[in-house]
Amino acid sequence: MRASKQLLPLLGAVIGLLLFFRMWVPNLLAPENLLDLTQQISVNAILAFGMTLVILIGGIDLSVGALLALVGTCAVFVLDRKLALAQSSLWILPAVLAGLGVAALFGAFTGFCASKTKIPPFIITLATMLVARGMALGFNEGRPIPIPEHQTLFLGLGNGRLGGLLPTPVFVMLLVFAVTTVLLHFTRFGRHLYGIGGNYEAARLSGIPIVRNTIIVYMICSLLAGIAGMIHTSQLYSAEPASGTGFELNAIAAVVVGGTSFSGGIGTMPGTLVGAIIIGILDKGLNQAGVHFSLQYVVKGLVILAAVFADVIRRK
Amino acid sequence: MKRTSMLLLGAGIVAALACGCGAKDAKPETGGQGKLFGVVYQTMNNPFFVELNAGLKSVIEAHGDQLVTLDSQFNSLKQKNDISDLLLKGVSGLFINPVNWEGIKGSLIQAKDKGVPSIVVDAPVKDEELVLCQVASDNVEAGRLAARALAQVRRPAKIVILHHSINKACIDRVEGFREELAKYPDMQVLDTQEGKGTTEGARPVMRDLLGRFPEVNAVFPINDPSALGAISALESAGKLKDVTVVTVDGSAEGVAAIKSGKLHSTSAQFPREIGRTAAEKMYDHLAGKAVEKDVAIRVELVSKENADTFAQAK
Repeated sequence: MRASKQLLPLLGAVIGLLLFFRMWVPNLLAPENLLDLTQQISVNAILAFGMTLVILIGGIDLSVGALLALVGTCAVFVLDRKLALAQSSLWILPAVLAGLGVAALFGAFTGFCASKTKIPPFIITLATMLVARGMALGFNEGRPIPIPEHQTLFLGLGNGRLGGLLPTPVFVMLLVFAVTTVLLHFTRFGRHLYGIGGNYEAARLSGIPIVRNTIIVYMICSLLAGIAGMIHTSQLYSAEPASGTGFELNAIAAVVVGGTSFSGGIGTMPGTLVGAIIIGILDKGLNQAGVHFSLQYVVKGLVILAAVFADVIRRK
Repeated sequence: MKRTSMLLLGAGIVAALACGCGAKDAKPETGGQGKLFGVVYQTMNNPFFVELNAGLKSVIEAHGDQLVTLDSQFNSLKQKNDISDLLLKGVSGLFINPVNWEGIKGSLIQAKDKGVPSIVVDAPVKDEELVLCQVASDNVEAGRLAARALAQVRRPAKIVILHHSINKACIDRVEGFREELAKYPDMQVLDTQEGKGTTEGARPVMRDLLGRFPEVNAVFPINDPSALGAISALESAGKLKDVTVVTVDGSAEGVAAIKSGKLHSTSAQFPREIGRTAAEKMYDHLAGKAVEKDVAIRVELVSKENADTFAQAK
């Protein structure tokens, strides 16, 4: 009930924005353009789904942008080995596992620190962001590493189309959305997260396993950063150790525009999806309307502020 | 509940307004006579690209056409999205200045599939068979000029290079610089570090290099902004007198630094000329004429002797 009440104004904003930009961009609503929009938001949305869980329990993860670069670089480093086995496109398996393994380690470490020490998650993930960025730049002197052309499966991850129609990144985004929605809204684990974020003391006294849940949440967030990282890398036909700077902020913007409270305990997964769509429409609309790039920053900032302000007013 | 419905009402009004205006606006845009072109830069935080853009714009607007300029902020993903936005908006031609000279491949394929010609400006791309042509400064020559200028004033030389190695133009400059340097055995490169091609990126890197190599007496930052960062670091360390800075670019800021004696020389590029030439090649192609694949634009050494005349000529 509450979820739908929160979602309706957001959907109204989506329709409003689409129709608004259509004034300047007549073919904005063309099917091809809308499909392109879903493809453009996929990396940010996948990051934002993980970020939603973290913000729900009152945390924050600044490291996802750097982790995205690190995981992509690790995966391509494995793909690029000069082994006989690595000539097969099935070599994607060890590459993906290596990437996700690194992501899981980072997530587990962050979650452990966030639940067991008194260091604020902002500081922990600020530190892990620097560590991840440094490790990524350690490969190939910080220069991009091209993906070998015979690795067709990995290249298909970012550039392929399922059934010749649905872009693979969009499919992955929808899959991640379905899994995280079920996890958050239809399991006991999900209800516990609302408990931890809503009232930490009460959650602790009622016996919710806070340490375990916190570690799991940060691990999910990191793993999703890893998945986004591999899609991003595939889209660029190369791993770019310096990429992903500022992606965490774009993900946070999608989460808060989607109605998740920055102080924890309130928020939904569909809200975040719509938040990512709103950010995506803004980017696309401003670009296609030919708005000067300097003005684009200003408009985007003001819209984010307005969206969150409207949300705060409604909650009063 | 009340507020929700009010918001919905507001959204509805905006929607209705948009529908009305959208229908009216749709016609002039599709039926207009002028063509639309798009350009995407790796950054606009560099006067070089502002100049280049002015060159492009002057030719395109002289034809009565329109140019949309986008800034990818050194973000390859944003550049990919920017390009697909322009392609789906229906541009007749695309000018690209890539963030990542390999990573741009997907966008080049997309443009090719749509039958939109793309011309690369300033920094080359790896998959050059996917583009119509590449218009850039002769960057190898620019590097050679810088090394030659340095050899005249600083020997023996202990040199550090502030690179931006994700960018092919910068790779070429360093290659030309090293190639020329090989002729002088007493000139030696101590280290190459990433200065990111920006003032704020180069400054801390230069400070660190000064700490590690007190004997440094020459710097080759690969463009004017990073040269200004290096100069600022040298000034604050009180070492500007002992260290010669040579670079490549020729921006107004760089020339001003030469006049004030802080920068020795810069191998000047002609960004407006790059922009104008790129636009002319695009119109040649659209008119059915053949276009050569690689167009190198001249570079010219600017030092104290010709700084004034160069500044006026621009």
